[in-house]
Parts: sequence; C-alpha cells; structure tokens
Amino acid sequence: MKILNLIKKYGTLIGFFGIIIFFTINLPSTFLTAKNFINISQQISMLAVVAFTMTVVMVMNDFDLSVGSMASLAGIVAAVLFSMGYPIWIGILAALFVGIIGGLFNGFLVSIIGILPFVATLGTLTMFSGFAFLISGGRTIFGRDIPSEFSSFARSGIEISSLGLKIPFLSILALLILFIVWFILEQTTYGRRLYAIGGNTEASFLAGIKVKQLRLSAFALTGVGAAIAGLMYSSRVASSNPTQGSGLMLEAIAAVFLGMTMSEEGEPRVLYTLLGVLILGVLDNGLTQMNVDSYIREVLVGFIVILAVAFSSITKKRN
Amino acid sequence: MKSCIKFISFTLLFLSMFVSKAWAEKVTVITPYLAQPGTQMYVEGFKNEASKKGWDLNIIDTKGDVAEVISRIEDAVNQKVDGIVINVDPSQIAAGLEVAAAANIPVVGMDSGADPLLVTNVTSNGYAMAAETSVYVANRIEGKGNVVMFVFDAFPPVQIRGVIADAVFGNFPDINVMDRITPDVQDGGIADSRAKMEALLAANPEAGSIAAVWAAWDQPAIGAMQAIEAAGRSNEGIVIVGIDANPQARDAISQGGNFEASIAQDFVGIGSATANAIGRAMSGEEIKSKVIYVPTVLITSANVGN
Repeated sequence: MKILNLIKKYGTLIGFFGIIIFFTINLPSTFLTAKNFINISQQISMLAVVAFTMTVVMVMNDFDLSVGSMASLAGIVAAVLFSMGYPIWIGILAALFVGIIGGLFNGFLVSIIGILPFVATLGTLTMFSGFAFLISGGRTIFGRDIPSEFSSFARSGIEISSLGLKIPFLSILALLILFIVWFILEQTTYGRRLYAIGGNTEASFLAGIKVKQLRLSAFALTGVGAAIAGLMYSSRVASSNPTQGSGLMLEAIAAVFLGMTMSEEGEPRVLYTLLGVLILGVLDNGLTQMNVDSYIREVLVGFIVILAVAFSSITKKRN
Repeated sequence: MKSCIKFISFTLLFLSMFVSKAWAEKVTVITPYLAQPGTQMYVEGFKNEASKKGWDLNIIDTKGDVAEVISRIEDAVNQKVDGIVINVDPSQIAAGLEVAAAANIPVVGMDSGADPLLVTNVTSNGYAMAAETSVYVANRIEGKGNVVMFVFDAFPPVQIRGVIADAVFGNFPDINVMDRITPDVQDGGIADSRAKMEALLAANPEAGSIAAVWAAWDQPAIGAMQAIEAAGRSNEGIVIVGIDANPQARDAISQGGNFEASIAQDFVGIGSATANAIGRAMSGEEIKSKVIYVPTVLITSANVGN
C-alpha cells in the first residue's frame, strides 16, 4: 500500500529516473557523463526559461500561447537594432521592453477586456509573428549583422579546469531565471496571491486581492521570459529568424503539465516544471543517441506526456 | 546433429550481423527541412549511397528548429559518430560545428551554404539557376512588361535566387517588378501564393497588365498558375517560371499552358554526391573545393517528357 502511494506521489519522478536508467544501460559510454548532462542543460535552457515563466500564468489557470512568437519577435528586434549599428545592450533592452509590452498587452486583453486567455493569446501569437516578419522583411538576420560578442555568449561558460568541464552561460541563465521565478511564486505574497487566483478567482477578488492588476503583471513576466528565451535562441544560432521560437510554446506547456503531475493539488510548481523540462530534454538527447527515428521520438514524447498526466489524473480521482 | 548445425549457423549469422553493425561507420544527417520534397530526395539519394557503403545511418528532422540542429550535432559528437551531414545554413549553427571540429568529426553540407567549418558543401548553382530562369522570362516577354516575383529571403539558398533575378530584371529598363511577394510557406507555399496572386489579378484587371511571374521555387509558381486559371486569364500569355522542376511543375509544363519553364536540380544526385564527399572526408582525404556543384537542366515543354 505504501509502495502504491509512493508511485502515486512520485510516479513522474520515478519515471524520470527510469528513463535515465534505460538510457544509461543502452548508452553505457556516452549518456551518463557530466559532459552529456551539461550538453542537455544547454540544449533545454531556452525551453526551460519559457516553461518557468509560463508557470507564472498557469498558476492562475491561464495560458499564454504567444510565447513562441514573442521569442521570435524579441530576437528579431535585437538583431535589427544590431544590424543598424546600435550597441548590444540597447538591442537586449529593446527586446526585453518588447517582451514586457507584449506581455502587458496579453494581460490587458485577458484581465481588463475579459477575453479568454486561449483566444487573446492566439490572436497576439499571430500579431507578434506578423510584427517579426514585418520588422525583418521576412529575412533571417545573420552574419556580420550579429555582433560576435552577442553570439559568443551562448558558446561560452564558466570553465572548471580541474574537471575539464565548462558550465555554459545559457544553463546558468536558465538556473537564475528558475531561482527568480521560484522566489516570486513560492516566497512572496505576490506569488501566493497568484495561487489564490488560480484556486478561486472570485473568492480572491472578494478577499481583496487585486485580481486584474496581478493577472496583468503575471502576463508581463511571461512576456519577458519569452523575450529572454528569444535572445538566448538568437545568441545560440548567431542569427534571428522570424519563426525561430515557434516550437517553444507547445513544449513549454507540455513541460508545465508534466510537472503538475508531481503536485498533489495538481498546481503548477516551478521546480516541478524543471522536472518536466528535464524529461523532455533527456528523452530528446537519449533517443537521438540511440538512433531512434525523429518522428518516432515525437510520438514517444507525446505518449509519455499523455501517460504521465493520465496516470496522475486517474490516481487523484481515486484519492 | 542437424539442430546443432542450425544453432551454430544462427549464432554465426547473429554474430556477423552484430559485428558488421558494430564496425559500420556511423553517419548522422541532420535537417530542419525534411518535410520539403527536395530535401526528401536529397536524403533518398544519400540513403541509397549509404546503404551501398554499409553505413549505420541516423536521419534527424528537427522540424524547422535551427537551434535543435545544434543540439543534435552535440548529441552526435557525444555519440562519437564518424561523420555528420547538415542541410541548414551553417552560419546559424556555428556553435554545433565548433563542437564537431573540436572532436575532429568531419561535417559536410548538403545544399547548405559554404562555411570554413564545413569540409565542403554539395549543391546546385543557385546563382546560375536564377539567372537562367529570369533571363528566360526577360526574353519571352521581349524585355518589357510587369513581372511578379515570389521570393523567400529567410532561407539563404532561396534568397540568392531572388538577388540574381532582381539584377537581371533591373538590367531591362522596360521591365517593372510590380510586386516582390514573400508567401507564407507553412501550408507548403501553394495556397498562400495563390491567394496573393488572386489579389494582384483583381487589382490589375486589364489584359496584359501582368506579363510574367517569376518564382524562386515551384510551389508559388503553381499557386500563381492556379490563380490565373481560376480568374479565366490563362489566354493572356502570362509567362510563369519556377525553380526545382518538381513533379507538379513538370506536369503543368507538359500541358503547354502558362507555366512554361522550371529548372531541375538533381536532388538525388546532390544526396549521393554528399555521401561520396563525407565518405572521402571520413577516410581522411582532404577535399580542396569548398563547394561541389551538381549540374542542373532547364525544363520546358520541349524536354519535359525526357
């Protein structure tokens, strides 16, 4: 009975370790190495940032479908400014500003106008994508237009010479964002109020919580997260493309859902979101190394997400 | 006794399979564009050649995600493959190419663009293809009239085609590029090109107001042709040309309508030439040429049946 409870509570975590053991057995010399795990941490860093900040709105039972387009737009804004000769810090600040404005606009549509988040952010998804195409003229901005100092950020890291390893700056940045989101959600009144809104919006309102303002600000945080991810992506590929972030949104939502299976109340928790991101990243890395067809990989990842969420849903219903 | 012989022969067979697999050279092909018909044909050509060479081949589609190409290169390097083939602009994946270079794993581009970190890039001559089709248009309309261009500057191999066509049309004082359209390619490029062309036809209803359509690849040319047919303006003599000569374009050209010409890249040939190039690189040979061109052919109604 205790074992059954353990599986119910930690099923996703056990599944994650099961995946690690499976790949370790099948890829004995290349999977369970520090170098590979550092690689994975770098590969998932952009998805992680989007997923962590997506958790902020999902805490309130909201969604932001525009994060991928915002990541593309922010990258394009920075790259266009670079190509016009502006310094790197101006490009970065402008991209972050676009993220805040875009996020606030989403929040305005959802909390002030009262449009369903799904519909509002579906609309802004198209708008942001259109702006990215408009500003870039549909072009990929690359080569001399992207300053080498900007692109070298994604290729650099902190060297640990004694171990012969390098911790990439992208991974460190993702960890920093994780800490900030964890602190905001778990350690502040602001975060607890967001959870309260997710629990019962009306009761929160009646209890004096400024629901509209909080929802507005939460969407702004998600917008900034998407913009940071867009900048990370542009740095990693030393270029900006108006469609570069389009794959991030669905995976970020999947990661939050996977994480939610760990929570007893079924609430999003950012540390559990990290687990969701890790599962997706490890699956991608391990299945690639095992030469599994990329389309089969896609089916497997989708299946695992459904399996985890279904298992969690069934066990919670029984409880 | 019989069962004993059977057992030994099965064991030997199994062992030989295992050993050949273990000794086979590992090659990873990574592309974000496997959904494109052209890329599928490159990969087909590559696979055929790879199976002759007995390679252990892994083909990865990152579905449009360029950053994932870098991730998959890192995975392949970790996996200690013998060679990597990419089908994406190398300047965008320098981070991955540097990891492969540090591990001394050769990387060859399959219609990707040249880069110092690539051993070589196997491709068609995009400049020559665009020049041939745009000059065909200029000659057919006798150097005058309005031309609609369909371009896609986000993808460098297609972007250079547009640059050359701009130069050719710009050199004819009586040719006016009335619109330079970038269609939405998420639906494959036909539907949105058709919609854009329908709008242009509606805005220019006089016969002869559009002399030609030049498309940087076939799908927009097909969309434009469908729009012209649907508008009942097929008999105005609007000349349409594309690039790639895919089966749908060849079919249209064979019917002798507005779609007059396209240029055939030897996609399968690029795939097999890429396999030969990576094979040579894996054997330690130094490939001096940074670009290997595979010949192309202008397809018109005169030779479409060949």
